[in-house]
Amino acid sequence: MTIDLEQLDADYLAQVRYALAFISEDVVSYDIDAAAKKITIELGPGADEAEVRTRVGEILSRYDQSQFGMKTVVDFEQKRDLPALDAWAGMLERRWATPVGDGHVVLRGPAALLMALVDHKVDSIFAEEFGAELEYFPSTIKSETLHRCNHFTSFPEHMDFVAHLKQDLGVLKHFSDSCRDKGWSPELHDGTMSRSDFAISPSCCYHAYEAMEGWELEKPGRCLTATLHCHRYEGANHKYMSRLRAFTMREVVWVGHPAYIISGRARAEQLIIQWAKDWELSCRFETANDMFFTDDYAVKASFQRQQQGKKELRLDVPSEGRSISCFSSNFHSTTFGKAFGISVAGRPATSGCIAWGYERWVYALLSQFGFRPEEWPAGLRDDYERFVRDRRTTLPARAATPE
Amino acid sequence: MEIAQAQAVETLRNFIRQRYNVPLDDADFSDDVHLFDYGYIDSFGAVDLIAFVESAFDIKISQSDLVAYPLNTIREIADFALQRRKANGI
Repeated sequence: MTIDLEQLDADYLAQVRYALAFISEDVVSYDIDAAAKKITIELGPGADEAEVRTRVGEILSRYDQSQFGMKTVVDFEQKRDLPALDAWAGMLERRWATPVGDGHVVLRGPAALLMALVDHKVDSIFAEEFGAELEYFPSTIKSETLHRCNHFTSFPEHMDFVAHLKQDLGVLKHFSDSCRDKGWSPELHDGTMSRSDFAISPSCCYHAYEAMEGWELEKPGRCLTATLHCHRYEGANHKYMSRLRAFTMREVVWVGHPAYIISGRARAEQLIIQWAKDWELSCRFETANDMFFTDDYAVKASFQRQQQGKKELRLDVPSEGRSISCFSSNFHSTTFGKAFGISVAGRPATSGCIAWGYERWVYALLSQFGFRPEEWPAGLRDDYERFVRDRRTTLPARAATPE
Repeated sequence: MEIAQAQAVETLRNFIRQRYNVPLDDADFSDDVHLFDYGYIDSFGAVDLIAFVESAFDIKISQSDLVAYPLNTIREIADFALQRRKANGI
């Protein structure tokens, strides 16, 4: 089936392309042809075409931004003329990456080292600059916490909930016996799972706020940093390493007085731009909005952009003819301070964070500069070689004889 | 009827204090504080504020106004409202 498009704004098309993955399990695949102003959708057998058409209509009207101001401010741009290099194919060929399920990838070799280098840069530049206190978070988070963070009312589509088998001897025995006799299959979970009360955290910083519940902070506030393996289910949007289901997010988080958050965030934005210059990245740093998957998308996105509540460093991926967000700077106002009763000087605390998606950095860097470190921009190459050399000298020598 | 800037600022200040529960001893609150950055008003509160400004000053505020003009502090909103009244011949 085909559906005509009226708007062709790039931002609008990106939002629609993302959202179409979630409209119905009857949709097998879809394609947006901007030149022909058409969406082509392939439906599965027995699909209700009229119902799918209605839902597509809902999505198109949800992302119709014509009545809202979607302000874009570009703070920094650095474009490089780069060849279209298929980094994903190159990583597979070199065994620097192995997919282990839809949206799941194992990295090794120089790809893993590049990821560790980015982490090291975050530590040495950002965590040190802001005196960020190191915290470790569990990968899963209470669904109740996500509800209090208003996550479900903005991003219900990408949640990965967790559940365990029912505490029932019969269920456990049946599951185990079936696996032994016939092998595991998804059907074995039908009716055997407990009620889900946890989810795999879709973002790094939520634990920080719930762990500070009821805290009265001294002015100006506190800064912390953490790394978390997060999950976001993206339906048909999972693609190479630019949109993984399981990915690594590093954050630096400020909680406290508004002036403290605002100044920290502004300084962090200077630092990320300097980093982009040092590594000669082909990129853009600009205002952005979250992919709110709700009927009030336009209001939320418009307000977020007007207040510059979110900015992103988007690195170009020449082979895909687009850019991907690899770093974001976010201002939450008092949303989390109010939700968790965190205060500073008697007022609800303000919060903000900066975040890196590490796998995207690796993918974008290899897409831009290829697989030979000696051919990388001098800043990146020198950082990489120094990091690899230092790592060799600081790693404990492998014990020749185990004790 | 002409409204003085001080009067417009006071009208807005009183509304915001009352509507968004700003304590009288709040040291950060002023006519020049960024109402959104400092968390006095969120995106939902902004809808109420726009409705109040339209009603109190007898003007219309469009989405494009929100993009084109800085409307983040009491003074900025007051200045905008008075300019819009003047442009409308009020």
